[in-house]
Amino acid sequence: MLRVIAERVGHLVLVLWVVATLTFLMFRLMPGDPTLNFLSPSFNDETRAALMRSFGLDRPLWEQYVIYMWQLARGDFGVSFLQNQPVSVLLWDALPNTAVLTVVSLVLAYAIGIVVGAFLAFRRGSAVEGVAIPVALATRAAPEFWLGMLVLAVFAFHLGWFPTGGAVSPGGTMGGVWERLGSADFWWHLCLPAVTLTLFLQGLPLLLMRATMLEVLNDEFITMARMKGLSRWSIVMRHAARNALLPVVTAFALGLGASIGGNVVIETVFAWPGIGRVLVGAVQASDYPLAQGAFIMIAFVLVVMNTVADLAYAWLDPRVSVGARR
Amino acid sequence: MWRPLFVLAGLMVPMVAQAQGDPIRPLTIITQPQAADPREYQAAQIVAEAWRKLGLTVNLRPLPGQQFTQVVWYERKRWDVTTWQMVGRPERGDPDELTYNLFVSANADNGYDFVGYINPAYDALAQAQRQELDLAKRKALVLEAQEMINQDQPYGFMVHPKNVVAFNKSVWDPKSFVAQAGIGIRSTWSWLNVAPLGAQKDVILNSVAPPTNLNPFNIPGAQGSWATEMVWDRLMRVGPDGLPTPWAAEKVERPDPLTVTVTLRKGMTWSDGKPVTIEDAVFSLEAPGYGDKSPMYKPFVRNISSVTATGPDTLTIKLKNPDAAFLISSLAKLNLAPKHIWAPIFEDLKTKPQTAESIQEDKPVGSGPFRLVKAALNQEIVLEANPTHWSKPKVSRWIMRIMPNVEAALGALKSGEINFLADYTGDPQILRDLAKANPNIVVSEALDIGFRFLAYNERRPPFDSKPFRQALSAMIDRQLLAEDAWGGAAEPSNSWVSPALEAWASKDIVKRVPASLDLVAAQKLLKDAGFVLVGGKLHYPTGVKETTAPFN
Repeated sequence: MLRVIAERVGHLVLVLWVVATLTFLMFRLMPGDPTLNFLSPSFNDETRAALMRSFGLDRPLWEQYVIYMWQLARGDFGVSFLQNQPVSVLLWDALPNTAVLTVVSLVLAYAIGIVVGAFLAFRRGSAVEGVAIPVALATRAAPEFWLGMLVLAVFAFHLGWFPTGGAVSPGGTMGGVWERLGSADFWWHLCLPAVTLTLFLQGLPLLLMRATMLEVLNDEFITMARMKGLSRWSIVMRHAARNALLPVVTAFALGLGASIGGNVVIETVFAWPGIGRVLVGAVQASDYPLAQGAFIMIAFVLVVMNTVADLAYAWLDPRVSVGARR
Repeated sequence: MWRPLFVLAGLMVPMVAQAQGDPIRPLTIITQPQAADPREYQAAQIVAEAWRKLGLTVNLRPLPGQQFTQVVWYERKRWDVTTWQMVGRPERGDPDELTYNLFVSANADNGYDFVGYINPAYDALAQAQRQELDLAKRKALVLEAQEMINQDQPYGFMVHPKNVVAFNKSVWDPKSFVAQAGIGIRSTWSWLNVAPLGAQKDVILNSVAPPTNLNPFNIPGAQGSWATEMVWDRLMRVGPDGLPTPWAAEKVERPDPLTVTVTLRKGMTWSDGKPVTIEDAVFSLEAPGYGDKSPMYKPFVRNISSVTATGPDTLTIKLKNPDAAFLISSLAKLNLAPKHIWAPIFEDLKTKPQTAESIQEDKPVGSGPFRLVKAALNQEIVLEANPTHWSKPKVSRWIMRIMPNVEAALGALKSGEINFLADYTGDPQILRDLAKANPNIVVSEALDIGFRFLAYNERRPPFDSKPFRQALSAMIDRQLLAEDAWGGAAEPSNSWVSPALEAWASKDIVKRVPASLDLVAAQKLLKDAGFVLVGGKLHYPTGVKETTAPFN
């Protein structure tokens, strides 16, 4: 097991190095540079040179790369060009918001998806299925911004039950992670973005669960359970559902990784101060250090969640083994 | 008798064939993508359609933000025409900044004359208005400069947009807002004067974009500047009438063209409790000039030759060259920064590559009417009224919420979450309709100092031809652009001086666009300059080859 973990960590470092190198080159090859944010009628070459020097962009590319890698190896992500704060501070400020939004929505989506999916598999061919599947598919296929605007229009603009955006009320304080989690105001602001993301995410676990359930329900051990005269509930939940869960668990872990960077649209619609907005803003403004830091962080979470999915699979299903068996 | 005529006719055939140069290449207008700026994109479409009537092939080429600026700014020989805008700022209430920087040939290589307009007569005018301290004479020079640009048409001016904002009149006394010329009621003067009617004493406004860090030596974008203007005092401010008004200075005098004397207001304090001294004022005028540590503010002190404290409350500024706009362009622009905090920072920066712009204080120290208490850049900026300020605001806090989704901001105005819609980029009609349905919401539209235009790249033929540029400009239907593309929230433009600046604007200059909206007259301009229409396609004058590659 130790060897397996060492191997995984090795992979992780390799992946992060590749991501770091690619993002480093990508942003510098893209048209535009960060000084373009400061154009004004009094802007001239002198201004530009001073700014380039202050960003360290006047050095040769290889030198910038060496400095960047050396800083990164020591856990230093550098300082944002535009916001002039350490990248790590900006990212750590945004990450908990994204994490809470993602985890809450994913858990809700998967809880709903699993139960409803299992139920629909059991009630295959019924009228309920005829309604539920198109509804699940429609919310899954609807564009996030449209879904978000719809939710906003109904619950914020029309009914006025929830705020239209942000993570705290105007002038409120947003403390550390634990303070945020203990603040009713924070959860109140979380409701609409979380509902939207849940609606968007529920389709995958629901359909996946239903499909695997249908397969499992045809297995011999289910027939056996029926012959034993077990209750319906016991058959569906204790026997069938547990066996059908495997692919859903994988999807959950991967979904968690993917969502960290993929909530850009919802974060923008609801002005939710998360990683997605930081990333988009940084890319638009050629804020290299911030964009690089955000990409590396997203890659890190994604790779870790992949590993977790692998390990969880092995743990849940004895037929799958991790590493070499002795 | 007929033979000579036949000979002549025979000669004329090759002459007709030679009476034209190469066909003009397909021309490209660079614009922002439709999603980023639907009005500008639609305007470019309307203009392209009009130019095609002249026999030109015109393509639109939307480029995303950074690439757009990169091409226009750093690849100056590559593009034909681009959309561009100058935004309204209080300091632009004096026309000098734009009159000088946009069109003088010294800025053509790498400054703001990015179209490459070169006209020594204009350079002389721009310089003369800058040095003329007699207001009436200077006005005449600025009008003359506008007329010269009207003839030369280096830009195809489109519109002066209006600032469309809205507020909740159940929260704020509508009469207490102060409209500033060319800005409207979203002005510092409003935040200093606006009076709450009930329990809600916080101004809560929206911003579409996050500002950068806030410090007295950084220009943090349009929205960030709303905050910095109130956290740090300036010796002067641009008054509601657009003229420089003493602010932290009690008195400002100009005994001769190269001297400015300032008397500092007494009894001001920094937010850390220390008094504001004359040394602080001297430092604030000098610091941006130290080395290259303040690239964004350095241009505003470049003309200062010395600053000397002449008493406990007085200082004298000596200028290198006469500068009529100095009070607005420098004294109303430079923030007062505490020397005891910033002198050590500048000292420390000497050995570092960073500039003063990049510094973020934990607790920013200013002397302004508001104090910065929170700057969560992707969420909100919170300012608190400074109770000891000599111009104490009537509100308790000023909170700017960062809301990238404009529709959500509209909803927030309706629900009362924000009480001032300060940054609205959507369709003005939607806002007007919202106000109609909600009696508490008041919309305020004010003509902006800024303008939108098409920039012709004079480095690339045929844009080096004045009649060609005149013909293009003549075809721009500015009224249509204002009504259609800008939804009525704009006015036609033919100058960089907005009609909002009544003192400087050239009256009816829009009506004096050469050959305005007259296709026949525009065609005649082209014909007289030798351009030839062949089979509906415009060709260069005789002998001119197309040597410029189309933009791609």
